[in-house]
Amino acid sequence: MLLAGAALSLQAQNLADFEKQVTEFTLPNGLHFIVVERHEAPVVSFETLVNVGSADDTSGETGLAHLLEMLAFEGTESVGTRDWPAESHALDAVEEAADKLEAERNKGHQADASKLDILDAEMKVAIGRAQSYVIPNQYPQILQQNGAVDMGASASYDSTEVRYSLPSNRLELWFLMESQRFLHPVLREFYRQRERMAEENRGKVETSPQASLARTLLATAFETGPYRNPELGWAGDLATLRASRAKAFFDKYYVAGNLTITMVGDVNPADARRLAERYFGPLPTRPVPAPPNRQEPPQNGPRTVEVYTQTPPFLMVAYKRPDMYDKDDPVFEVIRLILSNGRTGLLSKRLVEEKGLARSAQMFTPFPRGRYPNLALFYLVPSPSHTVSENERGLAEVLAAMETQDVEPELLARAKTQARATILRGLANNAGLASSLALYQAEYGNWRKLFTSLDDLNKVTAQDVQRVARQYFVINGRTVAIAGQPGAGGGESR
Amino acid sequence: MTRACLLLLAVTALVAQPAAEVKRPAPARGAAGSNAAAAGASYKDLKYPPLHQPEIPKVDAATLGNGMRLYLLEDHELPLIEGTALVRTGTLLDPPDKAGLANLTVTLMRSGGAGSLAPDQVDDRLEDLAGTVETTVGPDSATFTFSSLKESSAEVLAIFKAVLTAPQFSDEKIEQARADARNAIAHRNDDAGRVAHRELADSLFGRDTPLGREPDYASVSNIQRGDLEAFHTRYFFPRNIQLAIRGDFDSARMKAQIDTLFGGWHADQPPPEFPKLPPAPADAPGIHVAVKKDVSQTFFAIGQIGGTRNEKDYAALEILADILGGDASNRLAQSVRAHSSQATVSARWEAGYNLPGLFEISGSITSVTTAASLKAIQEEVARIRSSEVTDEELRVAKDAAINSLVFAFDTKAKILDRVLTDAYYGYPADFIDQYQNALAAVTRADVLRVARERLKPETFATVLVGDPADFIPPVESLNQPVQKIDLTIPEVKITPVKPDTASLAKGRDLLTRLQEAVGGLGKLAAVKDSILVATYLVEQAGHVTTIKHTERWLAPMHYREENELGGGTITSYYDGQFGWITVPGGSVPLIGDTLQQMQGNAFRQMQLLLQGGTLPGTAANAVDSRTVEITGPNGQWARVSADPVTGLPARIRYQGFARSGPPPLMEENWSDFREVAGIKVPFKIFITEDGRKYADVTVNEFRVNSGLKLADLEKRP
Repeated sequence: MLLAGAALSLQAQNLADFEKQVTEFTLPNGLHFIVVERHEAPVVSFETLVNVGSADDTSGETGLAHLLEMLAFEGTESVGTRDWPAESHALDAVEEAADKLEAERNKGHQADASKLDILDAEMKVAIGRAQSYVIPNQYPQILQQNGAVDMGASASYDSTEVRYSLPSNRLELWFLMESQRFLHPVLREFYRQRERMAEENRGKVETSPQASLARTLLATAFETGPYRNPELGWAGDLATLRASRAKAFFDKYYVAGNLTITMVGDVNPADARRLAERYFGPLPTRPVPAPPNRQEPPQNGPRTVEVYTQTPPFLMVAYKRPDMYDKDDPVFEVIRLILSNGRTGLLSKRLVEEKGLARSAQMFTPFPRGRYPNLALFYLVPSPSHTVSENERGLAEVLAAMETQDVEPELLARAKTQARATILRGLANNAGLASSLALYQAEYGNWRKLFTSLDDLNKVTAQDVQRVARQYFVINGRTVAIAGQPGAGGGESR
Repeated sequence: MTRACLLLLAVTALVAQPAAEVKRPAPARGAAGSNAAAAGASYKDLKYPPLHQPEIPKVDAATLGNGMRLYLLEDHELPLIEGTALVRTGTLLDPPDKAGLANLTVTLMRSGGAGSLAPDQVDDRLEDLAGTVETTVGPDSATFTFSSLKESSAEVLAIFKAVLTAPQFSDEKIEQARADARNAIAHRNDDAGRVAHRELADSLFGRDTPLGREPDYASVSNIQRGDLEAFHTRYFFPRNIQLAIRGDFDSARMKAQIDTLFGGWHADQPPPEFPKLPPAPADAPGIHVAVKKDVSQTFFAIGQIGGTRNEKDYAALEILADILGGDASNRLAQSVRAHSSQATVSARWEAGYNLPGLFEISGSITSVTTAASLKAIQEEVARIRSSEVTDEELRVAKDAAINSLVFAFDTKAKILDRVLTDAYYGYPADFIDQYQNALAAVTRADVLRVARERLKPETFATVLVGDPADFIPPVESLNQPVQKIDLTIPEVKITPVKPDTASLAKGRDLLTRLQEAVGGLGKLAAVKDSILVATYLVEQAGHVTTIKHTERWLAPMHYREENELGGGTITSYYDGQFGWITVPGGSVPLIGDTLQQMQGNAFRQMQLLLQGGTLPGTAANAVDSRTVEITGPNGQWARVSADPVTGLPARIRYQGFARSGPPPLMEENWSDFREVAGIKVPFKIFITEDGRKYADVTVNEFRVNSGLKLADLEKRP
């Protein structure tokens, strides 16, 4: 049985123990599977990761990757429909109506307003017709009826994931349901989900000023890089997204060679392989799409942006940093752990406890994600009696100290112990392990990196920390975004 | 009505036509259609092998010599050791005027230092070891957890024990925890969904009852160090604690280790009793509207008081709620979305172990559809009470519940947690099996029966959070009583302690003793004018600013301050009613914050403050055995605490001013008392703001009755 009796410690030499429980195979079409046996309880956790995210959204179609994720559980040609041929026809009619509406709208100023109204109404009718064939919620309902728990779909800048756990005797159900999503997908309820996303987008400003400021920060820090556009898309783009374009996006990115699937739990690898061949074998072999253009023009000078809000002021200070494949990636992780982990992060100690400047002071990196050049982000909430500029200065002092003095050996040791504990705790549950393995496999082409990354971290020295702080926390890589009432940023309000 | 609205109506009407009218089209063109047939087996054709039953490992249970219960479960998969202690206490036991006490106590047990470790040392050691100790409290239990790498478990356990048995409650951390609590209160209305849920619970249980009461600025400020210590002493003793530990250890050794660690702890108290819950208030049924204009939707919560898990119909009630508004069928969502396409709605039968939960239907709807959506919900509730659910609905709901039960035992962590929870609440060890059998036995008739017996629509409270201006038609059209909920958070940070004869007498007594300690009321009353010159070292962002501060006062109330900073002088003057403030750039009248600030400064001059209760518009009232609260004519207040040894006024607390957010709590510590004209006056003052250092003050000069002229005080610079 998995790891029974033998404690899994996390040094690389113990990786060998863990490998005994891992079976990997790749189908001829390029789809890669990782199976981890854990027979303690009759359950299995599944994770499907597609190597596509908001970083792959193209200009004018931002939000598409996220919208596809929202459609993940809408069903297939056989699930979620009362009559697929009829529904398919109705969906075609929706696209025809959308074509007409788009054609009229594209006339811009010359568009006929009343014609637009009629075309818009015709489209709504077409959507209503298509909807009448839908069995709402059938896809997730089948899974839940079979005992599925922790169902979730998520999309980030770098990847799109679907996950849930089932009783282990439902293994074949997972293969059937999941393979159909790729073999016979239907972009059902596309326009309704588009509306929902637009609503989410509008709500973002009122429900999360933090998320809203982060969006402004990214658009300011990056001019063209893959992390420039918001995951939920720009409102203007969203309004014109089309199901037909989404289908093209799906066909390009949701291909066998661009997927990683992990399952962890009470599963026999031979069964898994047999079922994988039967259910996922029919997926065609298609070229793996190119990653997005990562070109970002050099930044010549600091950037600052202010967003007026009703909230008490808060700010984000960000510095450009290289991607997660850079040799300095582990150094950034160590810096993050030293500055911002747990209750005793150095940032919180200096800015919140000692100086009372901030209510909260945290560091996030890589931000927003790591595959492409990204940011080291500092998030500061000034305390009521202190200003944004005082907080900026306070942060600058902490970073300056990091650039000139060796970080204390205890802090370095602590960061490494914490990293190890975090990985260990992440192994404790099947779903967490399935998710981590899929991610590391997708990101590094090798799930073992989950274990060996700790070795990289352990090699980081106090000198590395100083060097990286000096090299990257520089004015030419800095972007500051401030939220608050006019004047909160310390600038003129006129 | 606008053209867009008319079109929308037309579209709705069209869409409502049944799909049957659509001609059956030819099969769709292209590859997608033709592949559909080849889509392979249907999920309906799959056959599943029987689920092999997990082996439920046995949990070792023991009682230590001091009465503490211990549950151990070995789990050797990872080199980790984790534990949970349940303590029989809870927010139900908060005194009514100190709501928030249980919460502050458990927070400070963790953050306020423990055993021989100062607060920061606890954090530092745990971080060094990558261990955690966390504490939370619910209505009828407190949960203390730890997690540790195997190699450092002895030290993490020792810290865990110190947190449980020997909290320090450091003063600095008490202030910080109070500030955090005030901040949480200030933000409690940010999230409309949470407001709806909270207000539903509070209106159903009653706002002045243990389950419906919320902490506020006043109750949090009433909590003193002594309250925290008393709460800890009363509820944290071995017989009142059940501890469960799981991980990479040998049970016999771990038991010995725990025995050694906790064995010497012999505190004891009578077992605590939770208060009986009063019946639901008569005004709960009906519509309660909380106005929140910064949301674009209406957030709602509708419901009644539910039940407990051990009632015989618990399984049927869960199935009922699931069909009505659960993951599976969700009748409610289908009906409400006919009015509000972006609506979210769900229903839950929440059941506690010993306390009743809520039956709650909640979600969000487009504001203009509020009345229509509520009506749709009422109809669905009526429908499920009038006819049986379908076989399909019942099957889906039951299958989902039964098939997912395996996840209740799929890790050792969950198994041990269940054993601990069942033991804590006195549930039978086979409760989960009984529940599983009950689920399997639920019939359509059962669902209808419990819907009729247990859902009482006439008792439903409906809380709406949103902008009533957008409710079209208004909710008054629903023929239910409509009440307003006031979400305003009372600005008063520390409300005056409710004076009664005893506390007023005690207040007078305390004040007299303070007066005598500084030289007597006669000497204080003899002061007719005063000048004070002081140096303030103000800490801002780690930088120290030096301010030369001069204040002059002339009876009865003419008060002038000059503050010389590097960049110039700020002068302000207050004549008991009005005043002005002059900066290098110009002069403005005192209004709002600046006026209140000057009133407070004038009020807190020692010779005046200690005459509180005798001067017009002032009063003195005892807060505790050595603290008197003095209130002033303009609503100012200050709490003065006497030094236990000298009897001199040692600590003054009052409300400060913030640029944004909730006002901070200021605290001045007075020392270096010197005698001037027969009065002992502090020459050193240390000021904190919300528990953090604000300023060091040195008094350079203090003179009284030197013949100040009103004209000098009034003169603008």
